[in-house]
Amino acid sequence: MSSPLRPPLIAGHKSLADVTRDICTPLEGRPSSWWWAGLAVSASMLLVGLVSVGYQIAWGIGTWGLNKTVGWGFDITNFVFWIGIGHAGTLISAVLFLFRQQWRTSVNRAAEAMTLFAVMCAGIFPLIHMGRPWLFFWFAPYPNARGPLWINFKSPLVWDFFAISTYFLVSALFWYFGLLPDLATLRDRAVGWRKKLCGVLCLGWNGSARTWHRYETVYLLLAGLATPLVFSVHTIVSMDFATSVIPGWHTTIFPPYFVAGAIFSGLAMVLTLMLIARKTMRLEAYLTARHVDAMCQLMLAMGCLVGLAYGTEFFLAFYSGNPYEQFVFLNRAAGPLAWAYWTMVTCNVLVPQVLWLKAARRNFALVFAVSILVNVGMWFERFVIIVTSLHRDYLPSSWATYVPTLIELTTLVGSFGLFFTCFLLFCRFVPVIAMAEVKGVLDVGHETRREDAVVTGEAA
Amino acid sequence: MSVGEKHYWKSVAQRQGVREEPPAPGVSRRGFLEAAGFTVSLAALGGCQRAPVREALPYVAQPEGARPGRPLRFATTCGGCPAGCGLLATVRDGRPLKMEGLPEHPLSRGGLCAVGQALPLGLYDSQRLTAPRQNGQPATWPEVDAAIRDQLARTAARGGRVRVVTPTITSPTLRHAIDQFLKQFPDGRQITFDPLGGSAILAAHEQTHGRRVLPRYRLDRARVIVSLDADFLGAWYSPVEHTVGWRQGRTLPLRAGGHAADATHEPGGKGDGQHAAGPESPHDPGPIDLAYHVQFESRMTLTGSNADRRYVVHPSVISAVAAWLWQRVLGVRPAGAPPGDAAQLDALAQRLRDSQGQALVLCGSHDVATQVIVNRLNDALGAYGQTLDLDAPSRQRQDNAADLAALVADLKAGRIAGLIVAGVDLTYYLPPDEALDAALENVPLTIAIGEHLGDFAGRARFVCPDQHPLESWLDAEPVAGLFSIRQPTISPLADTRSALESFAAWSGRAASALELVQAYWREQVFPRPQAPGEFQAFWDRAVQDGFVDLTAEVPRTEPVRRSADQPRTPLPAASDELTLVLHPTAAIPDARHAHNPWLQELPDPITKVTWDNFAAISPRLAEQQGLAQDDVVQITVAGGSLELPVCIQPGQHERVVAVALNYGVPGTQRFAKVGPQWFQARPTVGAGGRVGVNAAPLVALTSGGIAYVRGGVQLKPTGRRQRLATTQLHDLLEVPAATRPPGSEARQALVQETTLAEYRRDPTAGAPHAHHFDGQLWPDDHPSEGHRWGMVIDLNRCSGCSACLIACQSENNVPVVGRDEVQRHREMHWIRIDRYYAGDEAEPEVVHQPMLCQHCAHAPCETVCPVLATVHSREGLNQQVYNRCVGTRYCANNCPYKVRRFNWFDYAHDDTLQNLALNPDVTVRMRGIMEKCSFCVQRIQEGKIEARRRGIAVADGAIQAACQQSCPGDAIVFGDLNDPASRVAQAMRDARRFTVLEELNVRPSVGYLRKVRNEG
Repeated sequence: MSSPLRPPLIAGHKSLADVTRDICTPLEGRPSSWWWAGLAVSASMLLVGLVSVGYQIAWGIGTWGLNKTVGWGFDITNFVFWIGIGHAGTLISAVLFLFRQQWRTSVNRAAEAMTLFAVMCAGIFPLIHMGRPWLFFWFAPYPNARGPLWINFKSPLVWDFFAISTYFLVSALFWYFGLLPDLATLRDRAVGWRKKLCGVLCLGWNGSARTWHRYETVYLLLAGLATPLVFSVHTIVSMDFATSVIPGWHTTIFPPYFVAGAIFSGLAMVLTLMLIARKTMRLEAYLTARHVDAMCQLMLAMGCLVGLAYGTEFFLAFYSGNPYEQFVFLNRAAGPLAWAYWTMVTCNVLVPQVLWLKAARRNFALVFAVSILVNVGMWFERFVIIVTSLHRDYLPSSWATYVPTLIELTTLVGSFGLFFTCFLLFCRFVPVIAMAEVKGVLDVGHETRREDAVVTGEAA
Repeated sequence: MSVGEKHYWKSVAQRQGVREEPPAPGVSRRGFLEAAGFTVSLAALGGCQRAPVREALPYVAQPEGARPGRPLRFATTCGGCPAGCGLLATVRDGRPLKMEGLPEHPLSRGGLCAVGQALPLGLYDSQRLTAPRQNGQPATWPEVDAAIRDQLARTAARGGRVRVVTPTITSPTLRHAIDQFLKQFPDGRQITFDPLGGSAILAAHEQTHGRRVLPRYRLDRARVIVSLDADFLGAWYSPVEHTVGWRQGRTLPLRAGGHAADATHEPGGKGDGQHAAGPESPHDPGPIDLAYHVQFESRMTLTGSNADRRYVVHPSVISAVAAWLWQRVLGVRPAGAPPGDAAQLDALAQRLRDSQGQALVLCGSHDVATQVIVNRLNDALGAYGQTLDLDAPSRQRQDNAADLAALVADLKAGRIAGLIVAGVDLTYYLPPDEALDAALENVPLTIAIGEHLGDFAGRARFVCPDQHPLESWLDAEPVAGLFSIRQPTISPLADTRSALESFAAWSGRAASALELVQAYWREQVFPRPQAPGEFQAFWDRAVQDGFVDLTAEVPRTEPVRRSADQPRTPLPAASDELTLVLHPTAAIPDARHAHNPWLQELPDPITKVTWDNFAAISPRLAEQQGLAQDDVVQITVAGGSLELPVCIQPGQHERVVAVALNYGVPGTQRFAKVGPQWFQARPTVGAGGRVGVNAAPLVALTSGGIAYVRGGVQLKPTGRRQRLATTQLHDLLEVPAATRPPGSEARQALVQETTLAEYRRDPTAGAPHAHHFDGQLWPDDHPSEGHRWGMVIDLNRCSGCSACLIACQSENNVPVVGRDEVQRHREMHWIRIDRYYAGDEAEPEVVHQPMLCQHCAHAPCETVCPVLATVHSREGLNQQVYNRCVGTRYCANNCPYKVRRFNWFDYAHDDTLQNLALNPDVTVRMRGIMEKCSFCVQRIQEGKIEARRRGIAVADGAIQAACQQSCPGDAIVFGDLNDPASRVAQAMRDARRFTVLEELNVRPSVGYLRKVRNEG
């Protein structure tokens, strides 16, 4: 329930039945041509990716552009990129839940789904970047007769393994539990095999007060469990770099820097998806300018944090007096990969500044463009961190160049293909908005709300 | 009850008559056993397969000492080039696998160059000729012999001219056999043709000393060495012998410098100042002196990169420099302008004069008059008899350039009835000449003897395959009086016959090579005054030792003759025109080594280019002509032109273009698909289908021989680019100003060096700053009580020759990856030599630093491997566990030295013959696995097992790493740091010792001794 003093979160005086109808109808009819078009594109991207990955696993990592100096390139860049994107979903679902930000209810389902798919896309890369990926299970500490031989608990890659798997598990659980009332709604509306399926999936939801009570308790617990993951998972991912000795990587700023960057890029991706979904699925009333506004402000805040981190890094390099560290930063800004560095700075620091203006936040086309550029910038940030630090490190005799091959590019395309395919399937089969939670913030029963306080879904 | 009827009871219950419990219901024991037995037997039968039948035949007469899996070592002589270094071939189960230098050999002293190390691949070469050929068709030896003898008889009867063309033959037996062969013909001569031979020096000595002789250069006795364009450490006659001599003058005695013996093992927390700032009371180190080495050259050679002082001069100036120095040494005021800075030249002359009897001037010029001047200069310095040995002169070059020109003239005039070319691809080295091609077609009898089907062999009527040095008997006399044996280490792999046997067969005295060599030795070598005892004992001793040193009984040299001046071969004058210099490379000294993939992939020590030759030009010339690295230019001289990519070479003369010979060899098309053949793989061969381009069209054949220095060169850009595959892109230790942080050192302290003057004052001179070490925060992770392996590399003695790279590759089954992979920065060498320039681009200082896994005690790679594939052993080794590695490559990322190598693909091992060269003691890695230097852990294990078997402790020097064992400069010391008396522990304590990237606190087990240049 929201306060009558505040403008309503959902426009258009929606009733409870309206909500159910608006959100369930797209799932029950035929999908729009937008959806088919989108699926065709993303499925072909996915296919291209599958072929590339197959070729690469059959032939070896040599089909990528890596070499003895640059051991990680697109592979880990993509990994960190996708994991970072996932964090916004959990932020919106869990952290904002604990902070009782009710505007999150329109966004959290899709955002959490985005997290799941992003983590899936991310998880592919540590798997395929291994020289012998069929031995991936050696990352798990299972009892064996070789000593027993455990894993190296000091290695950040092992921490990654635990962090990512925990993250995926908790996110999946959280998302699934949040889905239960909505699955029950679907079950109630469906017939035939769909009814049976939804019935099984909603675990026999009966809508009783006891059920609701338990549901909300579990939801709160899972939110509490997921919240620290927002900070810990990407901290651990940043340790992949921070614990090394390579200049440009060996810095304690990475954990907060990465977490801020992750949330930054994730919010951008949520915005991208949201702005498309609200138009194509006619959910303008549920994803209003207020939602966009709130997310833009969060994104701007994160962007400023990231910009601050860039500045801090430069200052630390100068202040440290470490010539290798200083060289890394000068090389980033003025070396052969300076174009990537300046793309990153432009897209991450300069472009989001436009969001200080309320008018800009209301201009959805502009916001869409900013979100795309922010993701481009964030991808380049990981690329810059990984590749520029590696390609010119301590011994000049080992300095090398890095040129990605076609296989790497198509693998990146394939990851986007997987992401969007999954997301499109999600949009088709699962309620994109958490009906049960949105119903909780409708102003049902408050007819005395001020008319002029209603903010429609259109830009003012 | 009788005894036999006594019943023993099993339990009290039975005694008391209590019935035993009935068996549990369900499966009875019998039933279970039946079922189990039936199942097991079914499983066994089902799992049974007929094992493939393999023949295993035990020895009927087991060779002495041969035990399966244990290596035998045979002393023999290397046949890679005429230098004749002693070779110790390690043979396992009948296959020679690893070559080492023979430690007692007077010339090579245990060193072995990259070419010698690469011999096994030359042996197991599936493209070697396997059977004789007649008129382009395979034939048998009896057929070929009959046809040849028939032709020879007819030629002899008609009195036709027969010529035998060979490279320098150091084998007295083979020379004798050829002489016997030629006696059949009224006009039969042997012509020695060495591409880039020593003919000028031989002719000069004929003028000055009355005999055509190449002196033996005793660099070990020289304190002042002046080299005029002689790359004596790289590719000049006998690089190993010269490096061994040169290193004597670069060795500094060890002076304790306040370091702990073990850089990795500083005791924690004691803070007892073990790393004091200055030297401790120096144990009297003796006189601290270095030889002084000056190089005058036009292009950057390996030798020049190691010189204390290097002058970049045009090739035509060399003669003037020699003349100036000679006259100044004599005290005469020279006429004309000085060929350089007069003050410096005079100072050098003074220094030479002050070193009477300990000075040596070497000259690599092909101009006889220049060499005569150098002879006179050496004579004035008292070098003859001291640093130049004519008593036991070298036999490593015996060519006569004029003979070749006469031969070509004879051929074109149709005067040659029989031409036999053995061991050199004659027509490959000559510029294309249609008249010569036609003439060769008309020679009635042409025979090619060699290992590969080269250019000449493709046109010869008969091709008689020669045997590889590792599979045939021969002898060698590289230096007069030093006789060595070449014994086979494996039976001939194909239907080949050594040249010795071929010549004997055609002389009507067919015999095996062993019989021929023994016969010669019995008649000619054994009777010499010094040889004691009985022939058989003498022979057995010679075969076991590998050599017999009879150098002491050769007649004394004659004094210099004053003779008339020789008309000089005109050398292009220094002018605005460009001069072309053609030269061999250290890796491929002659064309037959172009078939060796290890040598092709060996980065050239100066340019670090692999799999290609190129046109090297100076940065200034490149700027003037608007050329950049990799641009393809057309080089035109009178008589020929070529297209080659450009390589920018600092330190090269502005008007000189340098091109390497021995590329574009016929048959190297075989390397087109070397390397993994994925869909974006690029071929290893160039546009012409071969590796590199044959530079022979650029030479000129004159009456005085072949001119390898040409004037009037035109360079024209073609607009195309061909990326050279180089292993090192960046050469500077000085950070470019644009990316240099303000206030930081211009030059990184990765390679530390100092001058002799400063070193004398302070043995720790050259250290970037004094270290005060207050102890470690953490307790030592890896305490060791037993062995602790470590290594020290002396930068003064490392010449950068890269023999260690091939030694490591041979020992550890390091794969060849092909040019495309090298271009993608994925070469697999476990040890590399980093070559850095410092100072002015036109006259840079150069330093070579071997870099290998440092086996850090605080290894950054060990902490980050997720699956514990890289761990630290109790003996200080950083171990890479191949079967555990899953290939995340974090270890390689985290290595600050970038010494780890990843298997990006499955590198092909389809050539089963070549696979015979693999060392069975070392795993062959599959793709996805990281590998790196292991300090030759297989040798360490072998050494420890052997010591334990004998019940003794491991002696210092008993275990040698492959790189250490091969190094001609003895720059690498390896051993047990926990043994304070070991060489390596002493070297670690030396004041010159530093570790690379010390400030990272990774505690490497590899120390380097600071380079001390003889300056100031």
